[in-house]
Amino acid sequence: MAEAMRRTVASLLQGIERYNPQHLSTLEQYVEVQSQENIYDLEANLAVLKIYQFHHDYNLDITVQIMLKAITNFPHSDFVLCKCLLNEKLCQEAPLSQVLTLADLLENCNFKEFWYQVHAMPELYVKVNGFLDSVRKFVCHVIGITFQSVEKHFLMELLGGVDDAVLNQWMQKYNWKAVDNKYIFVSNQDENIKTKNITEKIDYENILGVMASCR
Amino acid sequence: MDYEQVSIPEYDGDTYYNSYEDRYSDADMYEPPMPEIIKKFLLYFRNAINEGMVYEMQNLYENTFPKLSDQYFDKAPWPSDNEVRKIMDDDKTFLMLYKELYYRHIFARVPNGPSTRQRFGSFYNYCDLFNYIFTCETPVTLELPDQWLWELVDEFVYQFQSFTQFRSRPRKTQEEMDMLASNNEVWNVLLVLNVLHSFINKSNIKLQLEVTASGGDPDSVAGEFGRHSLYKMLGYYSMIGLLRLHSLFGDYYLAIKVLENIDMHKKNAYSSVPACHISTAYYVGFAYMMMRRYSDAIRTFSSILLYIQRTKQLFQTRSYQNDQINKQTDQMYTLLAMCLVLHPQCVDESIQQVLREKNYTDRMFKMQYGDLQEFENCFQMACPKFLSMDPAEDSVKEAVKYQTSVFMAEVKQQKMLPTIRSYLKLYTTLPINKLVTFMAQGQGQRESNEPTDDKENLTKHLLCFKHKMKNIVWNKGASGLDGSFHSGSELDFYIDRDMIHIADTKVAHRYGDFFIRKVLKFEELNRKLKSIKV
Repeated sequence: MAEAMRRTVASLLQGIERYNPQHLSTLEQYVEVQSQENIYDLEANLAVLKIYQFHHDYNLDITVQIMLKAITNFPHSDFVLCKCLLNEKLCQEAPLSQVLTLADLLENCNFKEFWYQVHAMPELYVKVNGFLDSVRKFVCHVIGITFQSVEKHFLMELLGGVDDAVLNQWMQKYNWKAVDNKYIFVSNQDENIKTKNITEKIDYENILGVMASCR
Repeated sequence: MDYEQVSIPEYDGDTYYNSYEDRYSDADMYEPPMPEIIKKFLLYFRNAINEGMVYEMQNLYENTFPKLSDQYFDKAPWPSDNEVRKIMDDDKTFLMLYKELYYRHIFARVPNGPSTRQRFGSFYNYCDLFNYIFTCETPVTLELPDQWLWELVDEFVYQFQSFTQFRSRPRKTQEEMDMLASNNEVWNVLLVLNVLHSFINKSNIKLQLEVTASGGDPDSVAGEFGRHSLYKMLGYYSMIGLLRLHSLFGDYYLAIKVLENIDMHKKNAYSSVPACHISTAYYVGFAYMMMRRYSDAIRTFSSILLYIQRTKQLFQTRSYQNDQINKQTDQMYTLLAMCLVLHPQCVDESIQQVLREKNYTDRMFKMQYGDLQEFENCFQMACPKFLSMDPAEDSVKEAVKYQTSVFMAEVKQQKMLPTIRSYLKLYTTLPINKLVTFMAQGQGQRESNEPTDDKENLTKHLLCFKHKMKNIVWNKGASGLDGSFHSGSELDFYIDRDMIHIADTKVAHRYGDFFIRKVLKFEELNRKLKSIKV
């Protein structure tokens, strides 16, 4: 069902048809499907916002869902791409303003505050299936690129105060191992993050041309 | 604004032409008699176009027309088409092309700019011209130089931009407002998009580029129209027109996507017009910067700025093109400076040299020290002139303000990173607690007395550092949107328990290029000396 819809929508986005407001209801419905089925299509969502932008008429509910979906695709900068198609006045309207605040907290990696705020407004993301887990995925991404080994308690807090069972699931997913009671081993960062010395290497081939012309 | 209105107003021979002529021509204005030399020029120009003498046309278009403009029409319009019609029989094709130049000259040179009527007139002339090129069974025989075709498309988008700005201007006269209200189709955004898309489709340019990219013969897929240079180049330049148009509305994803199959890094058969090449890089680089793809933005800007440095002498003579190129060059150095503050990275030595000039170092210094106002000033000086479809007054100003605020939100998120970077640069390993102390001293006083709070705060910033410095970077693929996550910045680190391990990139001086250039210069000198006969 979702796959068929994806193909239909892709055909609607060809050339000048992309801006045809007659396709809007199909595209909006597709946004709802994305929320329910936990799938994601940035290009279709941008097309919706573009039609809103050209007609200066935004459906707030759909816009909020699109922005929440963009959060689910962190660390990609989709959220900024979508945000650029909105406007100042719209951004001040609740609940869109709250979504923007949440995104800002995530961009700042202020996860503690994010969980505090998001738990206080469960109705905001109720439509978007798998929203919290996708944020946890982003948290794991940031942890994965930052730490060689990390404090267990700290990690649980960053994941939104999860218990041991949930923590174990995420650890399994990313192949993280508990070292002792206190620390979790993430990965061997020292293999990738090394001081580089870039020196100039000049091959014989590089200067062949110059030498030939200077006879 | 209905979608149905998208089709271009029909051109049905004389009737339409005349009816709009009545409404929007400047025929009632007094006109001084046409100088003899202008008469001669126009007749010769027309002849060159009708005979398809492309090189001669290029010369007349690029050199003679601007020269005569300077001499005879410095702050005044060229003769109206009615006057021109008097000296030649009713050559519709030439008159449409002439009027395009006529209006363009008004936009560029006449004080107080075009009147509302002239804006409308220019729009309808574009419609006539494009209808003439589109709505025919077989390709039209017209041939125009690439430079002209590029400027034709670029001007079309520019006049749309100018009209949209005009519409949102406060304090319009009653007559202006009436004209705007009763002519919704004029400079309608969907119509402009439709023109650009139609050129792209008619020429099969996307398919042609795809086949070219895979090493095939573009003519095999070009079709009857696309094989014709006029259609092919209009198609190509329309893609760049779309890039610009999408950027003006803040649609950076689509801006980059439009250019699929155009290899930005290689010169190709289509990049013969420097202004087009440069403008493309400006919008692509800007879009990358907004997407937080700093490595890609830096690569795009550096490569085009190097190209400009190397070819500078080529376009020093033609002043009207040079103004635009110089402005965009300055904007790109500013954007590059901003990207390098946010994402320090090694760039070519000759680019670095320009950035060391006082003008840029001062700004970079301020930005590095977290001067948000400086960031904002640089952004507003270097960004495209954003548009809004909101008919309300000042909506265009709002659009610029809004895009600035989106960018500034990103800058604020990264505000702490330069400070952290400057400390990390000094060490290969550094305990988090020690960095906490440094940071607290740096800020003059502690915001909180509890050290644990400070540590938590700093860890947040360190995570943010890693997140913001790992971005999508293009390395291959037909679309500029492709790429994978890389940490391209020169300083990187990881945390093991409570210890930060730092990796820096040290770049040794490069001498090869320097010496090769000197060798070549010496050879050149030697050759010259030898050829001197005493």
